[in-house]
Amino acid sequence: MKQKIPASQITPEHEYVSRRRFIKQALLTTSASLLAASCGTDPTSTKPTTDPEFAAFNSQTDEQGNPITAYTDIIGYTNYYEFSTSKTQPTKLAASFQTDPWSVRIDGLVNNPITLNMEDIRSEFQTEERIYRMRCVEGWSMVIPWVGFPLSKLLEYVQPTSDAQYVRFETVYDPEQMPGQSNPSYPWPYVEGLRMDEAGHDLTLLATGIYGKDLTPQNGAPIRLVVPWKYGFKSIKSIVHIELVREMPVSLWMTVGPTEYGFYANVNPEVDHPRWSQATERRIGASGRIDTQLFNGYEEDVAYLYEGMDLKTNY
Amino acid sequence: MKITKIQIIGNLVGLIPGIYLLYRVLSVNLSANPIQTATVFTGKTAIYALLVSLFASPLSRLLKLRVFHQIRKTAGIYGFYYALVHFLIFVWADYEFNLSWIIPELKQKTYLQLGLIGLFFLVPLAITSIERIKKELGRTWKKVHSSIYIIVMIILLHVALASKGDLINPAILIALYLLAMIMRLPFLKSVHINNPPPWFKKIDAFLTC
Repeated sequence: MKQKIPASQITPEHEYVSRRRFIKQALLTTSASLLAASCGTDPTSTKPTTDPEFAAFNSQTDEQGNPITAYTDIIGYTNYYEFSTSKTQPTKLAASFQTDPWSVRIDGLVNNPITLNMEDIRSEFQTEERIYRMRCVEGWSMVIPWVGFPLSKLLEYVQPTSDAQYVRFETVYDPEQMPGQSNPSYPWPYVEGLRMDEAGHDLTLLATGIYGKDLTPQNGAPIRLVVPWKYGFKSIKSIVHIELVREMPVSLWMTVGPTEYGFYANVNPEVDHPRWSQATERRIGASGRIDTQLFNGYEEDVAYLYEGMDLKTNY
Repeated sequence: MKITKIQIIGNLVGLIPGIYLLYRVLSVNLSANPIQTATVFTGKTAIYALLVSLFASPLSRLLKLRVFHQIRKTAGIYGFYYALVHFLIFVWADYEFNLSWIIPELKQKTYLQLGLIGLFFLVPLAITSIERIKKELGRTWKKVHSSIYIIVMIILLHVALASKGDLINPAILIALYLLAMIMRLPFLKSVHINNPPPWFKKIDAFLTC
């Protein structure tokens, strides 16, 4: 199944952004912002960033026309319980988090189990930019320009056997560096999982950067998952282990709150949560509430994965 | 009615969180998610103020000081103010009075129902805190106002259900509430310090005039 790209999108999502295109786009953006400045309005962002390296991003939108969230908000407002349950503390507490050297072990039901360090990953898999909406289960959302590569490429590389039904992901366990992991309320390390067809979907990304830069620690450096049609907590951060398995993995949140968090966690305004609105959301940087879209607006791309399934029981 | 020093101090302290919040709103420094931050901030301030109010009488008795008793009303009133602002932020700033958004949420979410009930029953307490009405009510006033014990319990349930992550923070609040309740038990009512240091009395006399 191929992702369709609306013509309105400035950066074609599934194409490598060539140097020429980047320069051309930067010129276009600069002239657009000059034009906007001369009219005395800047409709693109509520928090204008003066840094010229952000200029190319600040006027971009996702395929629905939603402007990209300001970089300062993306790196300053995160959920990363390994550091803190506060949204702003991870930025401070993760500042000195060591992500180099880093390696990811990929094993389980594969023909080619392997441990790759970040250099291997960077040279083996060509990254591209993808602008995705990110919907947190807590009722807020952002539009993020990721840099990454489809998880399917990595899966091709390790060749799952025919027995592999699910992919299990694990975050690094390092309480020395991650103070939140000393909190006994949670069964660390963080675990997430995807069904094989979800993992192989072209939208499913392994991200290494945001806004053209490497990921910050609080955003899940050096490598994280991004599954844009699921609630943000599925997009596991700072991955060290990817295992192909037969049985459905049990995620950290399924263990902690089985009635609130299921395996699928697809964005769905029809499935309530006891604390947060799933019918509506606040887009960070924009004013006012907006309606939440089924599968976070990626219904056309992913609805077929769940055909015949009751999404209320398979939440 | 004479206004005492402790009442002036109480009012100034009560205004500080509001001024601080306003300052952060006006300087556009209220986090990436300002409505969320303002909601949580006003809610926390409200519950802290209500707990202070609950501790006023038992502490007065225990330490034989009038000063605590005199901030009971101020703390209670500010608890109501911040709860009201908390509610207004929710229905107005957050949900834009959009009933098609609010009603389904209210139907689904127990914590919202509890919060609304808590605020609803705080209203008559705030109104009957007006001195003239209080006098007219006479002995009934005390009965009306003893409902605060149940109201704070409802509000604490609202807090616990709305809390994310582990429940350490709501557990601390509930523990404080229980302590304030235990101090009201009949056999503890007579417990108090016998020889308060003289400067205790001096400060008390100074603040309460």
